[in-house]
Amino acid sequence: MTQRRGRKAPRSFPRHGVRHVTHAFNISRRGLLAMAGAGLASATLPAALFAQQGRNILIIASGQDIPNFDPHVASGYSASFLMRNVYDPLVRVAGESAEPVPGLAQSWENSEDGLVWTFQLNPDAVFHSGAPVTAADVVYSFERALRLAKGNSWMIRGIVQPGQIEAVDDHTVRFTLDAPFAAFLAVMPWIFVAEQAQVEANLGEDDGQTWLMSNEAGSGPFTVERFQVGTMYYLARAENAWQPEGGNLDGVIWQIVRETATQRLMLQRGEAHVAVDLTSEDMDALEGAPGVVRVIEPEYRTFSIKMNTAQGPMADVNLRRAISHAVDYEAILASAGYAELMTGPLPNGIFGFDPDLDVPRQDLDKAREYLAQTEWAEGGLTLRMVHVSGLEQQRRWSLILLDNLRALNIGLEIQPLNWPDMVAACASPETFPDLFPVYQTANYGDPDNIAYAAYHSSRNGGWSNAVYANPEVDALIEAGRVETDPEKRAAIYLEFQKAVVADAPDIFGVLENRKLGLREAVQGYRFTPVASNAIEAWPLSL
Amino acid sequence: MITFILRRLLMLVPVLVGLTVIMFAIARLLPGDPVGLAAGPNATAAERAALAAEFGLDRPVWEQYGTYVAGLVQGDFATSLLTRRPVAADLAAYLPATLELVLAAMLLAVGLGIPLGLLTALWRNRWPDYLSQVLAIGAISMPRFFLGLLLQLCFAMWLNWLPLAGRLPIIVFPPDPITGFITIDAALTGQWDVLRTALLHLLMPALALSLSPLATIMRMMRSSTIEVMGQDYVMTARALGLPRHLILTRTIARNAVSATLTVIGLYFGWLLGGTVLVETVFDWPGLGLYATKAILSQDMMPVIGVALVIGLLFVFANLLIDLAYGLINPKVRYS
Repeated sequence: MTQRRGRKAPRSFPRHGVRHVTHAFNISRRGLLAMAGAGLASATLPAALFAQQGRNILIIASGQDIPNFDPHVASGYSASFLMRNVYDPLVRVAGESAEPVPGLAQSWENSEDGLVWTFQLNPDAVFHSGAPVTAADVVYSFERALRLAKGNSWMIRGIVQPGQIEAVDDHTVRFTLDAPFAAFLAVMPWIFVAEQAQVEANLGEDDGQTWLMSNEAGSGPFTVERFQVGTMYYLARAENAWQPEGGNLDGVIWQIVRETATQRLMLQRGEAHVAVDLTSEDMDALEGAPGVVRVIEPEYRTFSIKMNTAQGPMADVNLRRAISHAVDYEAILASAGYAELMTGPLPNGIFGFDPDLDVPRQDLDKAREYLAQTEWAEGGLTLRMVHVSGLEQQRRWSLILLDNLRALNIGLEIQPLNWPDMVAACASPETFPDLFPVYQTANYGDPDNIAYAAYHSSRNGGWSNAVYANPEVDALIEAGRVETDPEKRAAIYLEFQKAVVADAPDIFGVLENRKLGLREAVQGYRFTPVASNAIEAWPLSL
Repeated sequence: MITFILRRLLMLVPVLVGLTVIMFAIARLLPGDPVGLAAGPNATAAERAALAAEFGLDRPVWEQYGTYVAGLVQGDFATSLLTRRPVAADLAAYLPATLELVLAAMLLAVGLGIPLGLLTALWRNRWPDYLSQVLAIGAISMPRFFLGLLLQLCFAMWLNWLPLAGRLPIIVFPPDPITGFITIDAALTGQWDVLRTALLHLLMPALALSLSPLATIMRMMRSSTIEVMGQDYVMTARALGLPRHLILTRTIARNAVSATLTVIGLYFGWLLGGTVLVETVFDWPGLGLYATKAILSQDMMPVIGVALVIGLLFVFANLLIDLAYGLINPKVRYS
């Protein structure tokens, strides 16, 4: 419930779109006057005011609004932030290697054949309503996610079928899969559990979607206390927060700050404790800033240039290889700010990643050798590259390529497009340009995620892999999915990486580092290379 | 006069129909794949089709249009493809913020522009006039977002007099919405501290937005005042020995304002649609930001909704201006 405890009945949401509450957060009149009055400097320093009151409220500055709270509908990192703090998944992800740690489930086991997963729920787990979290709620939530087929449900689609999720007893859930799925624990943190009774009481005509859009039925450590669309979301520590350990936060504020420079300024002035959308320039400016800690960590987020492997000149693998060897990777890296070069298709450091993979680096002799094997031995063709208009980094990459390809006597026509037009261009090989730069964020910390999204032919037509299709690679990706023995699985991904590099479907670019700014006062923070901007607040202290 | 108002309101119908038709046509003509974008990279073809069907995007355009208009009549502005929120709820959340900002800016522009215009006309071809001319050119030609940044730098960073951005500090909650304008609602509920804080937050963005209309209004007022001052009836009033301040306020100002009113009406509409840069700089949660985000992701229902609301307000503003002509100059007849 978003309603403040002890207040009158909930205001219906669509009427105003904003839930307004009359008073400030129990701030004394003097406090407010201090802010509004002569000492105007303090008008923008809420963090200091909270501290004066002895309340530990973490303020996170982010550029993204949270338009929808429904855990089975919403997507995007801001929604993930809300879900990770207000709801509980069976398993959470933590630590630098993105390990599964207990969430609602205190323990789990997988059968020998990898088909049956059994989760033991923590008997302490309770929803914000006070009702205990039962296996039936878990079954209901997974089935609702699959039924609605929105949000994160694609992660379990085709892997978990409705009817194959059973509540064995009140605190035991059993999933019976048709085939083993190695990334099963890695996707679990992104399917959240809602209270069946609450959702069913507000079902409406759309499976509770209207109600859950602006209300919650979770068991997470925080509740949605108040919010103003487009401005801020205040999560208060749940009175019956059952999660073990945890920090001393009384609440978390997700404040919408659209300009990254403003986020930086707020961090410097102590107006925000965390800024999540900082650019490389902001990070440079924050170097040595008193009281600020910079977090610059590699995350499983790739940035590559896809080539049209199916249509036009780029369908010739030797031309793709020639171009891959013509690119100045150091220039690509230098223009990417805080980043590291990719070695092949998988993000550096992820399970199965091969750091010794032999990938193309700039070598014009080799490039000319490959070019000689094409019908354009002397060059003399012009390729088309698109990029998202307004994305400076993509524009710079286009210019680097323009310069590099000139050495092979290949021209480059650069066309900035809006993102929706770029997506539309992916619909068929005929409309897909020769070169297409794209970011790919890992939604869960497993190689299957990027491998499937970026190289499996079933994704053809979508922007993550518009045209590339190789049955051998498909087979390897599928084998990697179902192999549960880690050693054998790692071997499959080694083979996969080699096969993809041989096909040269992409100019493998960079892993852009995640750039967060924290105040020194924030304690207990540990970086996790998946969705690290959707901050999990429970372990933190001020 | 009542029939005049009614007739003008009736004229809203073709305006709205025209707007919806044009917006719908644009939404369909634009290249791009909004469904693919909303469904995400991991959606299967079947899921994309299901999403299109859910939002009726698989139907013929005229049928979609019919459904939309049928909903519109009942106050339903359809649902955003991307956020799945009803557009009406979003408009209710974002419109008051923009209106508050635009009205405050207009208040500044009119409140300062008209007296300044009068004064510069009286001081014609003397140094205050030349100075105002230079300043006006500066104010009109300076981009508003740049002006906003300068103001922030000066008043928030260096002098620390005014808050940097936002409508209120995040720890102060707005009063229960009566009008949706934080300032008015705070005054109505007697929360003077909130009112004061809200006004301080409003000052810089309103100023940044107002300078260009202020300069235009001032220059318009100046030239029409000069024109009126040469008229025979002003000479007559002078010859009759009427007190100078009476001639100025009753005779000159009144006649000169009529010409300026048109500009004010036009500026109002222009500001409504043109706040986006100021909203971005000052983190003002208004329509401009909302519409921009929707346009960039080809989420057309919010875009159409915003266009309709702005169109409607524009028409209303001009109706009010037309009525104001009559108040200022009783010779104006409505027919």
